[in-house]
Amino acid sequence: MAAPGQDAKFFQRGKIEEFRAELHAAETKDKKFVKRKTVLKKIVANITMGNDMSPLFTDVVQCLGTPLLEIKKMVYLFLVSYGRSKPDQIHLVIPNFLQDCNDRNPLIRALAIRTMSYIPIPVVTDALNENLRHCLKDADPYVRKTAAICVAKLYAADPRRAEKGGFVEQLRDLMLDSNATVVANAVAALSEIGDRQDGVIFKLNLATANKLLAALPESSEWGQIYILDSLLRYVPEKHADAEVMAERIIVQLQHANSAVVLTTIKALLYLMNYMENRRLIDYICKKMGPPLVTLLSSGPEVQYVALRNILLIIQRRPTVLKNDVKVFFCKYNDPIYVKLAKLEIMYRLARAENANEVLAELQEYASEVDIDFVRKAVRSVGRLAIKVEDASDACIQALLNLIETKVSYVVQEAVIVIKDIFRRYPGKYEGVIPTLCQHLDALDEPEAKAAMVWILGQFADRIDNADELLDDLLYTFLDESVEVQLALLTAAVKLFIYKSKSDKAKELVYKVLKWATEDVDNPDLRDRGFMYWRLLAINPTVAGEIVLAEKPAITTDSDRMDRGALDQLLLHTGTLGSIYHKNPETFIRNATGKALKDSPALNAHSRAVLVPVARTQLPPTVVNVPGPGPSESHERNETAPPPVPDLPAPTTSKPTPPTPPLSSENASGDATDDGSDDEGDADEEPRGRANADPYSNLDGAFGNYLADEPRPMGGRQGDDEDLLF
Amino acid sequence: MAIDGLIVLDNTGRPIIQSGFRLATAAYPLLHIDAFNTAVLKSQRAGDIEPVIYVAPFNVSDPPTACCHVECGDIRILAPVSGDVDPLFAFAFLQTFIDILREYFGTISAATLKDNFDVVYQLLEETLDSGGHPLTTSPNALRDIVLPPSLLSKLLNVAGANITSAINSGSGLGAAGGPFSSPIPWRKAGLKYNSNEIYFDMVEELKAIVNKHGTTLSSSVWGKIETNAKLSGTPDCLLTFTNPHVITDCAFHPCVRLQRVKRDSAMSFVPPDGHFTLAEYRFTPSASATSARFQAAGATSSVLAKENVPIPFLLKSTVELTESGGTFEFILTSRMPSQTLESIVAEMYIGEGAGGVKCVAARGDGGNMGRRGMPDSSSGSSTGSWAFDAKKMVVRWEIPAAPPSSVWSLRGSFSSSSVVRPAHALQVRFAVSSYTFSALKVDQLKVTGEVYKPYKGVRGRATGNIEWRW
Repeated sequence: MAAPGQDAKFFQRGKIEEFRAELHAAETKDKKFVKRKTVLKKIVANITMGNDMSPLFTDVVQCLGTPLLEIKKMVYLFLVSYGRSKPDQIHLVIPNFLQDCNDRNPLIRALAIRTMSYIPIPVVTDALNENLRHCLKDADPYVRKTAAICVAKLYAADPRRAEKGGFVEQLRDLMLDSNATVVANAVAALSEIGDRQDGVIFKLNLATANKLLAALPESSEWGQIYILDSLLRYVPEKHADAEVMAERIIVQLQHANSAVVLTTIKALLYLMNYMENRRLIDYICKKMGPPLVTLLSSGPEVQYVALRNILLIIQRRPTVLKNDVKVFFCKYNDPIYVKLAKLEIMYRLARAENANEVLAELQEYASEVDIDFVRKAVRSVGRLAIKVEDASDACIQALLNLIETKVSYVVQEAVIVIKDIFRRYPGKYEGVIPTLCQHLDALDEPEAKAAMVWILGQFADRIDNADELLDDLLYTFLDESVEVQLALLTAAVKLFIYKSKSDKAKELVYKVLKWATEDVDNPDLRDRGFMYWRLLAINPTVAGEIVLAEKPAITTDSDRMDRGALDQLLLHTGTLGSIYHKNPETFIRNATGKALKDSPALNAHSRAVLVPVARTQLPPTVVNVPGPGPSESHERNETAPPPVPDLPAPTTSKPTPPTPPLSSENASGDATDDGSDDEGDADEEPRGRANADPYSNLDGAFGNYLADEPRPMGGRQGDDEDLLF
Repeated sequence: MAIDGLIVLDNTGRPIIQSGFRLATAAYPLLHIDAFNTAVLKSQRAGDIEPVIYVAPFNVSDPPTACCHVECGDIRILAPVSGDVDPLFAFAFLQTFIDILREYFGTISAATLKDNFDVVYQLLEETLDSGGHPLTTSPNALRDIVLPPSLLSKLLNVAGANITSAINSGSGLGAAGGPFSSPIPWRKAGLKYNSNEIYFDMVEELKAIVNKHGTTLSSSVWGKIETNAKLSGTPDCLLTFTNPHVITDCAFHPCVRLQRVKRDSAMSFVPPDGHFTLAEYRFTPSASATSARFQAAGATSSVLAKENVPIPFLLKSTVELTESGGTFEFILTSRMPSQTLESIVAEMYIGEGAGGVKCVAARGDGGNMGRRGMPDSSSGSSTGSWAFDAKKMVVRWEIPAAPPSSVWSLRGSFSSSSVVRPAHALQVRFAVSSYTFSALKVDQLKVTGEVYKPYKGVRGRATGNIEWRW
């Protein structure tokens, strides 16, 4: 892995001389070319090991005339590795290329054009241009399918030239080829071209889409994936078109290849947006469940990808897997990433009917060894209480039992969620406060401590010794984290308001306000200190009304993903976007965003939340591509909307997006959190609607396990019904 | 949709072979190897590395990429992806590539790959295009363009692969009408066998979680029909079952005509040559069928939920944990009516810092160990045996063969230097030969399109993987 030192260089040079001599020696008396074969093998081995064999270029190229396929292959391998670094010598090979392009063996014809397409040097590309046109019409399907892929390479090297050469049209014709593999490769090449921001737009009409479907049964699994994926480029104009197509592909859910299955599901989810027949939609939803479950019987890698996708799918189509919560129960031996993904899905699928089963499982997990997993299990118990009212009694009891274990991190997690349960069910569970107070000393993490302090302050009127407890906690006020300091400040104020007659309370609040305003550097804390101080000084009664104002009840319903965003993400089912739960254009350069396209058939609910995608549509004539290579800079049309900027932000701070650190958003941080992302875009992208970019707040909402962090109940009535559609 | 390339690492994390990465900088594969090795170092348990690793770019201006990886024997194969690729696409391809390597070399290890690097290289070239498009992945077609290593060709012959014709057609330059002349991508034309045979192995695995009260929380049986076809010409097979209703959620090899399955549950196909998995399925027990088959000793079938497959054994556990360790007693009773449970392995993780494990494995319920006159803990096969893996902190209890209704026990204790936190579950694996949970039965195999009548062999095999909590 390290760069080779000086010694390695000598060693290498010696070897190259050796190989050269051996190659020369092999030119005479080489029966059946055995000698040459051996030397070439050694050279290829050295390429594999990362040694630079390029000085042998002229010598190796000489072997190209040898009439033995094995030798030809190795020379071509050599050319593929070093061809592009030898622009001044590559012309030596051109005659051989041309000869091989017309060889009578289809393998050799294909090998020649494939190798040429790997070498983006003008001389080679020129030669390729002419021959590729013939090969696209070759009698042998192996040559045609190889040629189709080569077009994508040619296009990558010089898009405009490939367009002028009519290659895109030729590919379009190949989609109607009699051989299924050729069709699939043509689709693959067109998709690759269509996914480029500077590429021609690849759309399918009904006739072509049907032709592709006809090739489906005879295609290899990879071909099927390309074809199924390309269906997302077809926009149904009538409900019936979408429905018929879905019925045709639904049988592919039974394919053995997991990628085929997931791509089929993606296509079905897409087509469902254009359907009207409610019964068919229900039927498809029912059919999608079992194949998803089947994916869970595969290795952990496939399971992981499947689980992340299931999490998205069940939010958009809750009927899928509605009754299958059991298959997501965690086994002790599951890898941790599988367990965490399962836990999230179990919570999502929890309903009054299965809450007891789920709770029993969560309690089981709370006794496991992995601390991270245990914490999340405990937290899920609390979220379950908030989500399913019928189960809240049992959940509280479970949490109290967990607190009795006295395992520090379990107690802390439990306290954090109990705080939320108090807010969700005011006046119902305050009886457990004394139990919590007994474990005050066990709390050493800021979040747990802050939660406990909040409880102390909020219910100071019911806790007899609240002042003593608070006094103890205040002992270390100046050493606490800001989160805890803020909580302590507010709690002291609440205590004072409840017990304004008490001298102790007076003393405490004075002490804290003085610390906050005089001894602390944090501006948030200081500001809040001043605010409270002034409030209390001006009118203590009003202060009481403000500080102890009734809080909005919290719920977990509002934090489902935005419908439009979900629709858009589901177009990326089974892709990296669905793993990270982010739209790919935010983390992949040159990726074009996908969006549902409007059509008369698009159902009203999907249209209502339609998210427009900004695709840079560059007029072909304006673009000026300086040279080969993947990274190009384009002149942009001034009036065209700029592309979505490369946002390194969403992932750079979190190397493993699926399990980022727990973010604890407190009330004060909330507003700025979402705003900051928007501001980043604001100067570049004119924003029509406030909500034009539904992903701006995705980060906290989704990649995070705390996706369901309780939040104030929003006015989104009837959302559930909507989601079922 | 594309994979950037493949990198094969040995078990120390050093690359053995990698594909060209022609569209990327030289640092690109190194970046991924490095990211993977860092992830390995960071992970606590070997299996806990996320399968899709985020790879930060070398230059800040470049977009980040992802690295999909799988383990296979003592090697790891990485597939870096940079576009919005379906990770399943990468994993499916990796699996296919591993299957191909297995076809070619029999076993996969760093040593075999090094020995045959030139073949591996050719395979990489033929299976994955530099733009990331899979090319030829069907072993039948591949053998035409990449010759299997000659030393191993004998071995392949034994394994049932038809190689002679591959050598003949592949070695000549002209090979007129040779590769890809077959209209069916998974089968080549002109195969010839002296005796035409086809074998079906139905392999089923029961996966279940049982809670401490012995109630099955979730269970499922996954089955596969592994097939080995040695048939001449282009035979069109029709496989029918007497009880196709017991299986559901099938996934089929591409050769199976799905429309036909939909119509009458019969599998109609032109098979590939050699080994392949014809279908995968899930067994859905109906209440009546299972209760008839499991009237075993002491089975309280009322406890079992109707849709669950009964667990073929009963496990009673008593575990007591103290400040400095714990004692445990497990009693396993076979509930199989007539078959023997084989190679039972039960494992329990007893927590970091544990040690001083002492156990007694016995046959019988442990209460009256003297009955068979074997009070000692010697690990004879008639008593079962135990071992402690100090590296993984796992107590392993093995019973080579448990006849119907036999009772086995393991009693023991362990001490712990830190807080005692063992796994609250035993992982039990077992196998039963010549048996399937579903009792799926082949009715008949009809071959059309060829004149011969092939020999047909059908076998069943069952395995289980149960988590039994205490």
